[in-house]
Amino acid sequence: MTTTQPRLVGARVARVEDPRFLKGEARYIANIVLAGMRHARFVRSPLAHARILSIDTSAVPEGVAVFTGDEWAEFGIECTSRYEGFQPAAMPILAVGKVRYVGEPVVMVIADDPYLAEDAAEAVMVDYDPLPALTTIDEALAGDAPLIHEHWETNLYVPRTYSSPDYDEQTKDMLSVSGRLSHSRHSGVPMEGRAVLAEFTAGRFKVHTATQIPHLVRTAVATAMGLAEREVQIVSPDVGGGFGVKAQAYPEEVACALAAKALRVPVKWIEDRREHFMASHHSREHTHQASLHFTEEGKIKGLAAELYVDMGAYSVFPWTATMDTGMAMGILPGPYRFTGYKVDGFPTCTNKTPYGAYRGVSRPAACFTIERLVDWMARDRGLDRLEARRMNLVRQEDYPWTNPGGLVYDGGSLDESIDVMKEWIGYDGLVESLRNDRKQGKLRGLGMAIFTEQSAHTTEEFKKRGVPIVFGYETATLRLDPTGHLTIAASIHSHGQGLETTLAQFAGETLGMPMDRVKVVFGDTDQVSYGAGTFASRSAVLAGGAARLAATELREKLTRIAAYLLEAAEADLVFSEDGIEVVGSPGSGISMAELCRITYQRPDLLPEGELPTLESTKTYDAAPGTGTYTNALHMGVVEIDEGTGGIDLQNYWVVEDCGVMINPLVVEGQIHGGVAQGIGTALLEEMIYDENGQLLTTTYMDYLLPTAEDVPFIGTRHLETPSPFTEGGIKGMGEGGAIAPAAVIAGAVEEALSDLGQVYVSRVPLTPEQVLNHIAEARSLQ
Amino acid sequence: MKTAADGTISVSVTVNGTNRSADVSPRTLLSDFLRDYLGLMGTNVGCEHGYCGACNVIVDGQTARSCLILTPSVEGSEITTVEGLASNGDLSPLQQAFQQAHGLQCGFCTPGFLMTATGLLESTRGALSDGEIRSAISGNICRCTGYVHIVDAIRSASEARSE
Repeated sequence: MTTTQPRLVGARVARVEDPRFLKGEARYIANIVLAGMRHARFVRSPLAHARILSIDTSAVPEGVAVFTGDEWAEFGIECTSRYEGFQPAAMPILAVGKVRYVGEPVVMVIADDPYLAEDAAEAVMVDYDPLPALTTIDEALAGDAPLIHEHWETNLYVPRTYSSPDYDEQTKDMLSVSGRLSHSRHSGVPMEGRAVLAEFTAGRFKVHTATQIPHLVRTAVATAMGLAEREVQIVSPDVGGGFGVKAQAYPEEVACALAAKALRVPVKWIEDRREHFMASHHSREHTHQASLHFTEEGKIKGLAAELYVDMGAYSVFPWTATMDTGMAMGILPGPYRFTGYKVDGFPTCTNKTPYGAYRGVSRPAACFTIERLVDWMARDRGLDRLEARRMNLVRQEDYPWTNPGGLVYDGGSLDESIDVMKEWIGYDGLVESLRNDRKQGKLRGLGMAIFTEQSAHTTEEFKKRGVPIVFGYETATLRLDPTGHLTIAASIHSHGQGLETTLAQFAGETLGMPMDRVKVVFGDTDQVSYGAGTFASRSAVLAGGAARLAATELREKLTRIAAYLLEAAEADLVFSEDGIEVVGSPGSGISMAELCRITYQRPDLLPEGELPTLESTKTYDAAPGTGTYTNALHMGVVEIDEGTGGIDLQNYWVVEDCGVMINPLVVEGQIHGGVAQGIGTALLEEMIYDENGQLLTTTYMDYLLPTAEDVPFIGTRHLETPSPFTEGGIKGMGEGGAIAPAAVIAGAVEEALSDLGQVYVSRVPLTPEQVLNHIAEARSLQ
Repeated sequence: MKTAADGTISVSVTVNGTNRSADVSPRTLLSDFLRDYLGLMGTNVGCEHGYCGACNVIVDGQTARSCLILTPSVEGSEITTVEGLASNGDLSPLQQAFQQAHGLQCGFCTPGFLMTATGLLESTRGALSDGEIRSAISGNICRCTGYVHIVDAIRSASEARSE
């Protein structure tokens, strides 16, 4: 059976969710007003590490409710690991006895309006006895370091180690380049901060929270409070950006629920920007001590690395403190065809804000390390950087390729992406013209990075990472109503990714449904099946796959019923935009509305044994479970101002292959947004702590985000190599844009300075100060 | 403008063409006045320190940060918010351009960008260059789009008006 309507998959469909955002009618949590609602404010720790001696609330105005940690000491959020030796520590709802990072919630006050709540919070006096603050990995791992969690043996969550059996053999007598490569601590910083509005009614909690993972938050809140999960409903309506920051459970969610029950009123908390910098989970801070081993010809034979990640004061739910080291250990070998691999991971506990997910999780740092090392190898061997990559890439005939980190690459177009890029940007001419510019004193250079983006990783990957909850699958329920309209209820979330449109395209096409008859719902644990949510570039692949399987089942049932009603053979039926027709007999068919009406309301007309319902629920977990692999090649050109150290990013190009594209417009939007965030990583963003663990960057004046004048036009070209493993051949691609820019820009800066002297750029962000240091260093080498 | 015994101040403004009055505490920010007193929730608050531009509105013809303005200071002013752009529920040409170009993702910064772009389009003529657009929106932060499609949307709206 076929479909006559134009294909939806692959079409640049404008998003159906846009009008409510454009008209100012979005339903962000701040916009929800409930009768009797009161407003919460948290008193947060001003110190990185201290004992709480006393809390004096006597100056708090009458009528303001106050809660402290001792009252809720039993309700922590714990995220332990299945790795042997993992040192657990529950994150308290409000600090109990001790604070472990600046911004940790200590006291909660609740007043009639947000202004009064802020006044009340200022009236709370907390007396602290400061303890030594551990603000770096070196400090935390020093032999005489005090313990952040007293019951631990060291300040290490759990060390991890892996070595391929052939590492020594592969790397014996090889040449090598080495470096200590690092990313600053920074984070997703969505435009909407966190927000919670909790109610307790009819014996149940209803917690509105700006989250990417509604069911996992339900699990966390119910577990923290010792409740059955059905006693908690999580609603995550419109969410103003997530990027991973909202993919963790937070103590404020539990605190608002507890307070709503205690006070019998809805309790609302809207995070302000300063709180966001201090208390929403940070990310990205990696230091890799790494060596690449290769032959005289530049053939890579092995990689060795020690990965240090500053995970902050607590292990976050649901990822655990081993998320970043675990992911980096898998993906560090990148798109290259070698087998010798040795890696150690050190997720370290410090007196900093806990560390969670941010778009790309580990992959920006991993890409930076391998790509910088390959650039340095090319320099060492006198090779063109692009050709040095090409000769080491996984080849078409190698797929499916199991990398030395154990990840199975499903396929791609690495080599082809190089050809496309070279032709598109006129690579050879560009290299030559930049060389001439440098000869005339201009500091211009080109950088590049090629990578595979692990996406939609499922059961096998999370099993390997030792997380307590293994999130593989997602579930979708498709329901046709008696008027022939389709609802897709999916266990993911959408907070900018456009899934209200793309899931409708992907599943709707199977039923021949025009977009205006499909509605996608998500974000309410009472309305959708249990699932993990939206992160790790997984939602289109997994929820889309589930929706497509359910659509296929509905299609088969509709076909059977239509064949019976039309007295036609199933093989002679086609789906059209209006319903189902008999091939070659226009006007002979039955509309979708009529077919659905008969199914529900005239069961007497149905074939024997056919149940009068049009509903299907499917759960999908993409094989083989270590992800689908989008590949991309990024290049960019910078010009450096020698006087100020300022970097002008002049061009940025992306050739990407994310398999079959559902909606190229949305794909491009995701690439642009990711690249802009990667530019922030490369040039601007850094959470800066002083030696006492005081966070110095708590406004947008100190923590800089890329503006429209920092981000250039970003060119995109697409290749489409279908995944052999997934429904419809699609791959995840939401994070890729953010993975490569740091490596690209570092390489471009290195080349721009190459006529002054050959420096090694091994840390981002490349602030003007850093660039001036590199210029001085380059000159000193002359 | 009158101050009552309880310290509140009576404020009267014209918002999206309609006269609105309320008694507010003197420290009430315009962003909170629009949202909490008038129920106009389209103006989002992103940073409360005048940097991100999510709360931009138009006050007496000038694009302004509503989180930096104390409400009594706009007594008698004419204010346009994002709710004032569509007419009879139909998207304005600028709003349509944002949808067609995929100029928004999570939508939180979008009202601020729309108000900045509205101010830009009202104060210029003809098709705008990318440089002019990028300069004009450099006081608005978007964390989702990388700005490329926002620039496309505003350029397309500027071209459409000059045809």
